[in-house]
Amino acid sequence: MPSGAGNTMSTSLPPVAIPGQRLGSVSVYAAGPGTHVQQANIYASIAGPVVVDPAQPKTQTKSTLRVSRILPGISQDVVAAPLAPAKPKPRYNTLPAVDSIVLARVTRVQKRQATVSILVVLDNATASTGDLSKLASDNDNVASILTSAANPENHSSTDELRFQALIRKEDVRAVEKDRVVMDEMFRVGDIVRGSVISLGDQSFYYLTTARNDLGVVMARSEAGNMMFPVSWKEMRDPVTGTGEQRKVARPF
Amino acid sequence: MAAPEAKVAPSIPPSLSLPPSQFARLQPHAYLLAHLSPPPASNQPSIRANGRAPSQFRVTSANAGSLTHTNGSAVVRIGDTAAVCGVRAELLHTEDIASWSVSQASGSHKRRRLADLGKKSAEEDEEDEEDDEEDRAHIEDLNLLVPNLSLSTGCAPGFIPGAPPSALAQSLSHQILSLLHSTRLVRADDLRIWYQPPNLGPEEPERHNEDEQMDMDAEHSPTSESKPREIKAFWVLYIDVMIISLAGNPFDAAWAAVLAALRDTKLPKAWWDVDNETILCSDNISDARKLCLRGLPVASSFGVFEADAAAGWRPNVIPDAEEQKAQDQKRKKGSQQSWILADPDGYEEGLSQERACIVVDKEQGGKGKTVIMKMEKHGGWTVDTEELRQLVDISARRWDEMKRMLDQC
Amino acid sequence: MMADRRRINGPPGGTRPAVFASNSQSGTGATTRAQRQRQPSELRKIFLKTGLIPTASGSSYLEFEPSASLAAARANPKSLIPPSSALKLACTVHGPKPLPRSAAFSPNLVLTTHVKYAPFAARRRKGHIRDSSERDLGVHLETALRGAIIAERWPKSGLDITITILEAEDDRWWGDAPDSHDASWGMMNVLAGCITAASAAIADAHIDCLDLVAGGVAALVSDESAGSSAAPKLMLDTDPAEHRSILSACVVGYMPARDEITELWLKGDSSKASLEDGDKRTGHEALIDGAVDAARGAHTVLAEAVRESLLSAVGQL
Repeated sequence: MPSGAGNTMSTSLPPVAIPGQRLGSVSVYAAGPGTHVQQANIYASIAGPVVVDPAQPKTQTKSTLRVSRILPGISQDVVAAPLAPAKPKPRYNTLPAVDSIVLARVTRVQKRQATVSILVVLDNATASTGDLSKLASDNDNVASILTSAANPENHSSTDELRFQALIRKEDVRAVEKDRVVMDEMFRVGDIVRGSVISLGDQSFYYLTTARNDLGVVMARSEAGNMMFPVSWKEMRDPVTGTGEQRKVARPF
Repeated sequence: MAAPEAKVAPSIPPSLSLPPSQFARLQPHAYLLAHLSPPPASNQPSIRANGRAPSQFRVTSANAGSLTHTNGSAVVRIGDTAAVCGVRAELLHTEDIASWSVSQASGSHKRRRLADLGKKSAEEDEEDEEDDEEDRAHIEDLNLLVPNLSLSTGCAPGFIPGAPPSALAQSLSHQILSLLHSTRLVRADDLRIWYQPPNLGPEEPERHNEDEQMDMDAEHSPTSESKPREIKAFWVLYIDVMIISLAGNPFDAAWAAVLAALRDTKLPKAWWDVDNETILCSDNISDARKLCLRGLPVASSFGVFEADAAAGWRPNVIPDAEEQKAQDQKRKKGSQQSWILADPDGYEEGLSQERACIVVDKEQGGKGKTVIMKMEKHGGWTVDTEELRQLVDISARRWDEMKRMLDQC
Repeated sequence: MMADRRRINGPPGGTRPAVFASNSQSGTGATTRAQRQRQPSELRKIFLKTGLIPTASGSSYLEFEPSASLAAARANPKSLIPPSSALKLACTVHGPKPLPRSAAFSPNLVLTTHVKYAPFAARRRKGHIRDSSERDLGVHLETALRGAIIAERWPKSGLDITITILEAEDDRWWGDAPDSHDASWGMMNVLAGCITAASAAIADAHIDCLDLVAGGVAALVSDESAGSSAAPKLMLDTDPAEHRSILSACVVGYMPARDEITELWLKGDSSKASLEDGDKRTGHEALIDGAVDAARGAHTVLAEAVRESLLSAVGQL
């Protein structure tokens, strides 16, 4: 039961919380993701582990209370034993947000823009560290992918279930913007790493690839072979030896 | 194709350095291939991404009779695919059948029906043959078995609830119906409701016509019977399957659920009530009887995974004998080109063009020889005669497993 | 009626449900009405489990405990006519996912609810196409959930909630004439179950909510033994098959943490009902209080199920 002395409650935080569970007072904590405030109290909005992020000395005076979507143990498991049988694990949803790094498949290339279908939303916090191996985003573990049947009826229609995004011509690269020819940047089927610049309109998010680490990460040549990058604007087919133009992401 | 890739691997943006979860989503084909063909040096067996051996089925469980408002019901789970089947029996009065005639009703069935139910099983086998045609005619022409499968249950993303049955749902319903018909699983005789009119004096003059008809098989009709028995109604079995969770291979789960539910089905004792001119039933459970099914046909489905992702796009050339030999040798050397995966999950289904489904039964409840009830294969040419033989063996082993499970549920 | 070519149709002339002979002499006891064995405020147990359907972002399965008479009939089957039935349903949540191309921009999560009975769920065979009562249930469910979900956290995306009812509650005792009561009381229990199950599935999908929202039912029942003159009694979690005369009933969607009702549905006439001596509440006040009490009970089960699946995921179980 909430007592009047909210200040003394800081030690009694539960390890995990379920929606509607009271966690603490706004006089002690700031409300973070996965929580909401009602009548000066912080309540959990989702089920998950309760995490206290210490106050950042310059900007904040209170520690932030949040409920995590990431359950401990998931990403480590997957990385440690990549070929071990996948155990069923809960899967959670991540929506693309501004500045999210996403991996997307190119579905259409037009003169002024390329349309892509977002496959993976990388976790914002870890993406900035650049350490890909720790990037198992929370909507995305092997077990869930294996069990989630791609719509067995019509393989192509799975794009309907994915968030769609546009890469406009001016957002492809930072230099020589006026000389961009979309056909020489992307081809249908390429996997692109991009950053969300806006939520866009009702049907599309907007992505940018105008950074060295953004652009095409996987592509097949016209002969159908997986290509490797040779420069920031070219990839090569290891079998035929032919090069093809792309806006290439810097390999790690 | 895998080999050259491996050689230049160091210069490729190391796609393998992606966490497996992203690898699985971005490069599903390469991901599964990496599992199935581990580097020869590692000496690891070929294991699917889901941890199963190629011929291994998922853990299967069944539970029958838990739904209150059904004549028979079952829940079957094959891994993460779950099917619920409910059987509901309703009555089809022969007077509601437009094409019905009395000769159909009386038919050649007198002796058998007079024999009491206990003796029936002994005669069953001999009589089966002669019943065939009428059995088929009644069940198929009168639509006595009505299976429908629904995927609009939220079982997987992409199936819109409330929408009309998708192409997949329609196709599965029809596969169940045609398998019910071709295996002759349900006996028409179990579904017939007979009436023996009393031999009343005043009706004597009218009997002439019918007598003539009966003379044709007079030896079958006991002398005590002076008026032919007639069928007054049939039981119609509405067999509804709800796929509650879909993670690949819906057919095996749906068929197993249908089979288990039919094995659980009890029909009430029913008779023609002359006064009310309708069929009445007894609610007493000791009067009701179970269906007497023909055999236990078990379905096993397979998907074929090709090492070459673009195989489906290559020109279709029929290899001559020499080439065939060369290919076979290549295969023996270990660079396997394709894998046949039993009971594919949703991920594997999305990656295989070629499918096979084999339905087998075993005679004498498992002691006899294996009988192939159905064999279906489409979408490719990887599975040849030799491989089909292997699949039949795998299916036969699956039969034992399913039999054990269904006997317990 | 046109045959539906996308489904397998039965005999074109239609079929008739089985009619049981007057069963007074069958000795199966099916003619005796099921009797409520619980105290007026005692709730049935609920089985609730989340995460059983891994192809969905969230899922749950819910079952009501069979009534005493149904449990007895199952343990020692005599009659083919079940004395009552117990709710069984599966709920899946898909999303958040992109809105259809045709949809307008929405800064919030767009909720879609579908409730469908399996053809074998009720005493009468249900059709394959959603009927008005199923649509009704969907609308009530959506209202109950919309008040709990924090929709602005999921812009321009949609959430589909689908419920498949495998076994429904009876609307009345089967032996009563179909028109002897005016309302389909069983629907209220079904709605309460749908709300509780959907809330569990939404929590399983990690969609932000103000609280877990639970469903509860209460009814005013005229006491059978004391004759019609006696004051109607308030009963929680009524199984319509166990009562001769339900005057009115109420179902709520309720969030205990905020003491807030997100959905209220009251059927029947509670205005004339005078309660027992000393109870100054009006009929509908009592009904709502009762339904909230029932929802509080369901909430404890709901919270336990969500916590259990969380703990097993975290690895503390």
